[in-house]
Amino acid sequence: MAELCGVVGIGQTQHDAKRTDVSAPGLLREAATRALEDAQLTWSDIDAVVIGKAPDMFEGVMMPEIAMGDALGAAGKPILRVHTAGSVGGSTAVVAASLIQAGIHDRVLTVAYEKQSESNAMWALTIKIPFQQAIVAGAGGYFAPLIRAYMARSKAPEDTGIRVALKDRLNALKNPYAHLKIPGVDFDQVANSPMLWDPIRYLETCPSSDGACAMVLSSEKAAESAPTRPAWVWSTAMKSEPTMFSGRDQVNPQAGKDCAAELYKKAGITNPRKEIDAAEIYVPFSWFEPMWMENLGFAEEGLGWEMTYEGATALDGDLPVNCSGGVLSSNPIGASGMLRFAEAAMQVRGQAGEHQVEGARKALGHAYGGGSQFFAMWIVGSEKP
Amino acid sequence: MASGDGGLLSASHIVEYPYRRSTGPVMGRFFAALRDRRFEGVKTARGRVLVPPTEYDPQTGEAADEMVPVGPGGVVTTWAWVSHPRAKHPLNHPFAWALIQLDGADTAMLHAVDTGVESAMQTGMRVTPRWRAQTVGSINDVACFEPEGTS
Repeated sequence: MAELCGVVGIGQTQHDAKRTDVSAPGLLREAATRALEDAQLTWSDIDAVVIGKAPDMFEGVMMPEIAMGDALGAAGKPILRVHTAGSVGGSTAVVAASLIQAGIHDRVLTVAYEKQSESNAMWALTIKIPFQQAIVAGAGGYFAPLIRAYMARSKAPEDTGIRVALKDRLNALKNPYAHLKIPGVDFDQVANSPMLWDPIRYLETCPSSDGACAMVLSSEKAAESAPTRPAWVWSTAMKSEPTMFSGRDQVNPQAGKDCAAELYKKAGITNPRKEIDAAEIYVPFSWFEPMWMENLGFAEEGLGWEMTYEGATALDGDLPVNCSGGVLSSNPIGASGMLRFAEAAMQVRGQAGEHQVEGARKALGHAYGGGSQFFAMWIVGSEKP
Repeated sequence: MASGDGGLLSASHIVEYPYRRSTGPVMGRFFAALRDRRFEGVKTARGRVLVPPTEYDPQTGEAADEMVPVGPGGVVTTWAWVSHPRAKHPLNHPFAWALIQLDGADTAMLHAVDTGVESAMQTGMRVTPRWRAQTVGSINDVACFEPEGTS
């Protein structure tokens, strides 16, 4: 029987296009310090540090974590890094939680970050490697055809993506940490924004952000002294599949479906739409909301768009999705997954302020990465499992 | 595409992109001081002065942000002689790589020392910086160190 794991501290930075006021270690320190303050703990209370970020090429620093031990108070403690492309923020939290669940440590600090202003992820994702298939258009160029395929399959109304973007941009106005805030944003502004990668418009895509997120995870015993109610980890799951193979369904990947099925089974959830009160889903391009609603089993295949269209995923809907404004509003890539996990935990701790879902008791955090091939998820609850 | 071993194809792959670095408030001040031909270290909560400075005490993880002037002179704590300098070395004649503990610092930093001959190098010797005519905010604003009283 695994030990219980609780989230007792959460911190995030002010996300912005350029945080030139801090170094990269200073950026993740800002999030980590806030997580410790939230937990009313100090560096010496932490047993181990688990860090995640997107591929090294994004900032051009090889293995940056080995130079960040001092910024994370890791001297004399284990520090380890998790690599799973864009899903890494989620996977990092899952690995950190496993150290608690396995009974190895009582308090683990987990941190994820990206400082996109120091590089250009679009370029890093556009490298033409000899003898290999070229992506040559960044993430948007890779995912746009998958969205087109989804539109063709589902016959979803053309403006579904605009509605997702508008919802998330309005939610971001309620999140003090969000990077991209557009006061007064409306349907026409999103609809009239430039087409970047057909069918993805400028305001339907995520920004490039500098930012970090951190959580203090605790054993049940160590959580007894927590100053505020922990978010209890009900289940975690990770799955992967190769980027390219014949017959792979990139629109609705099997790894995502399997990951969700395992997650619900471990948490004893049989009707996710009914039993989950809020979800933070990795949606870097608007149309991924309906796509992931289906992949996660919240909607039948081909009907995910109806949830968006009917307002089910709005802050006052029956399954509020990305109340924080989501990846569309803040995208420090390596941290984007952990922000989803942390925002889910904030919801069940009642910490989400203006974007709080009233009475949220169970929330899902989701991250995906690579060519829709790495998945990490967790369900957290206000009560112990 | 070039031909490799056994006639199998290989190709070169050159990746270039201009990255950018934000130095943060501690390293940023260290480099700004170099531009003004001064050295600054950081004083940790435990009272140790680290040069080059770090943002966080490497042992305790506590934030360190009290900048203090150090140097410009210092002491060689250890060194290695370079008899045959290569093109990218800081001096084009024989010199020493040395760890130099600047006055007021509790740690030593690496730099070049120009004594001309190896026999003039000694652990414990005092050295002072030789600044470049143009400074930009880089450790290379110090061309090298030289024995105290040389110039």
